Amino acid sequence: MPRDFLDPFSRGSTICHRLPDRLKLIMVLAVIVAAMLVPAAYWPVHGCLAAALFLAMSIAGIPLRYLLVRLLFFLPMILGLAIAVPASNGFARGWDVALTVLMRGTLSFMGVLWLVNTTPFDRLLVAMRRLGLPQTLAAILSFMYRYIFVVFDELQRMREARRARSFTRRGFFAAWQSNAQLIGMLLIRSMDRAERVHGAMCARGFDGEIRTLE
Amino acid sequence: MHIPDGILSPEVCGSMALAAAGAVGYSLHQLKQTVSTKTIPLTGMMGALVFAGQMINFPLVVAPVSGHLLGGVLASVILGPWAGCLVIALVLTVQWALFADGGMLALGVNIFNMGVVGAWGGYAVYAGLRRHLQGPQGTVAAAVIASWLSVLAASSMFCVEFAFSGYGRTYDLTNLFALMATFHSLIGIGEGLITGFVLSVVVKLRPDLIYQPQDAATASPAISTSRAITVGVVLALAVAGFLAPFASEYSDGLEAVAERMSFDSLAATDPTVLVLDDYEVPIGENPSWLWSKLSVSIAGVGGTLAVLAAALLLGRGLKPPASRTGAGHAA
Amino acid sequence: MSSTVSAQNPVLRVAKLSYRYPSGQLALKDISFDVQPGDRVGLVGPNGAGKTTLLLHLNGLLPGADAGVEENASAVEVCGLPATQAHLREIRKQVGFLFQDPDDQLFCPTVREDVAFGPLNLGLSKEEVLRRVEEQLAAVGLSEIESRNTLQLSYGERKRVCLAGVLACDPQVLALDEPTSNLDPRARRGFMNLLEQFPAAQIIASHDLELILDLCSRVLVLDQGRLQADGAPEVIFANQRLMELHGLEVPLSIRYGQR
Repeated sequence: MPRDFLDPFSRGSTICHRLPDRLKLIMVLAVIVAAMLVPAAYWPVHGCLAAALFLAMSIAGIPLRYLLVRLLFFLPMILGLAIAVPASNGFARGWDVALTVLMRGTLSFMGVLWLVNTTPFDRLLVAMRRLGLPQTLAAILSFMYRYIFVVFDELQRMREARRARSFTRRGFFAAWQSNAQLIGMLLIRSMDRAERVHGAMCARGFDGEIRTLE
Repeated sequence: MHIPDGILSPEVCGSMALAAAGAVGYSLHQLKQTVSTKTIPLTGMMGALVFAGQMINFPLVVAPVSGHLLGGVLASVILGPWAGCLVIALVLTVQWALFADGGMLALGVNIFNMGVVGAWGGYAVYAGLRRHLQGPQGTVAAAVIASWLSVLAASSMFCVEFAFSGYGRTYDLTNLFALMATFHSLIGIGEGLITGFVLSVVVKLRPDLIYQPQDAATASPAISTSRAITVGVVLALAVAGFLAPFASEYSDGLEAVAERMSFDSLAATDPTVLVLDDYEVPIGENPSWLWSKLSVSIAGVGGTLAVLAAALLLGRGLKPPASRTGAGHAA
Repeated sequence: MSSTVSAQNPVLRVAKLSYRYPSGQLALKDISFDVQPGDRVGLVGPNGAGKTTLLLHLNGLLPGADAGVEENASAVEVCGLPATQAHLREIRKQVGFLFQDPDDQLFCPTVREDVAFGPLNLGLSKEEVLRRVEEQLAAVGLSEIESRNTLQLSYGERKRVCLAGVLACDPQVLALDEPTSNLDPRARRGFMNLLEQFPAAQIIASHDLELILDLCSRVLVLDQGRLQADGAPEVIFANQRLMELHGLEVPLSIRYGQR
């Protein structure tokens, strides 16, 4: 599995990619908090934030197409949540809440999207670590990130093998069962691998305490 | 289920983040005392597995929409509640940091809803049921029920948070809550089915992988009885709260939801988008309809609180196991 | 080899080691052998013979050292120390273990961090750790990829990084499980050359009999959990009856008299 298929533009070299990671993290947090705290009446503020985010996206070389596709998947969800309040009030009142939620949600989503596509996960982890993420959690997160790819590749192989042996289209229930069995087998293999990795860690003197070069 | 930013107020996000941080910290503390050297490989690998498992799509009756595993109860049943909570927190963090799934400020909310209410609460229900359901089938059955409840509890938790975000003061949210509860009782069935299928494979091939708490408390029947009662109450509450509307004279509830679901096929996975349907909300015309929905949400809230209380009770009762059983051996 | 001196101080001694899997199935029965410093010993046998299980005993990964099972632990002695819970740390420092699948062993995000993992756990200073990382990566010929992400490496590179990570702990004994499986012929030859350079005693479990012929002065045949033969590879591998009895085959180089 390609390493960056989840955050495809994160390893660019634009000015956005070269900004200090901690700064980016705090900036995006500030944008989100600002979007949430500024009342909807001051919508020009939100407009400016959105414009700034669009600009930042284009500087970072994130294609408009990618942004649109992500928004296409995101908008129905936020729209649904936004419209819930007016719907709950007979579509007579509550439209202000809907608009506010929609505006804030989309802005925040774009902020995070920019962040994760200008900062690869490993660097984001270092930044979070420096901002106070406990070491154990950082260690588990980086371990998990490492093995997502291994587990994925294993899943891919098992799927191929299953496809090679299945000849008929099966019903709805059977499809669920067979997908879940795939996860079950993957779970067994992953837990066995976890035991082996644990052995490998102990074999190199691991005693539960995390020591790093930092 | 991944709540984005901008929905809940910063105060709610902040307090939920604090609560989530506390819960994750406590889970980590418990793990360090029991499986110190295994914490990283076991939780990290399970995180990777749940992450990969969530990418497997389960087709729904209507083609473009598909469901997927959530995994809170699954992780807890395999690794225990502490690791289960941690695993969900990890998965949510990675999903946020890799592809902006779920908000940044709302990360704490999501961890609390799915990791604490979902995984801890779900495990509490599972552990309670396990005392009465013996054998491998018992494990699977208990996990299925616990999964279903954990989804409902998490969605009810969201409703509470939504109400506390200030919207509840000026607007009536009962319909929203009713819809959330209805829709998530369906999602919960999916989660229960997937968890059940996955676990039946594990139970059949490698029963040793299932988490066995070796607490001293198991020896004392008094505690287990009280736990069973607690869990029973939780179950009764939840079932009453979520199933009562369907059993009542408003049997069209299911029909309406099914109708809406087919509409939803174009949109997304989120429940509330359903409201977009042209289905008329007969508010005000039929007060007893409102009341039935209100009772749903009240039951939802009550159920959540009860699951939480059960989780806390269990948490106090569970002594740290001396060591994990030889679950799996290095090949 | 100065056998008179080293015979009294084997770097590894296994005496009457038996082991059952948690399922109750017998895995190892009465295994006894010594390894002298600098020896390279081959370990061959069919799948499921217990090779990996035996190797796992050598640095205390079995029998479930963390579960506190002690009954069998004293059957293994490393540098004169019985492999009990009390000596586990020291034992693991002395015995390096190379797993078959590099993905089981390469769990850190970057190559540098992974190689540094062992030395850091030994409590060495940062300077010393970095020195060892550089030294060992140079030894396996991968100095230029030190800061690379472990996800970007080829299979052969991952395998060599694993070896560097084990060697960075400066072990007296190296236990290798299928070191050349899945490697292409050039990578295999390169890996064998690496093993040949290292002064540490080595126990190499492998199905690659040519490799054992090339590298090892002694071979152990393991089948159904028992030690079936122990001797010079040229002699044992030429014994067709013995080889076929234990699911092995006379290597082509011996059959066609190229040795």
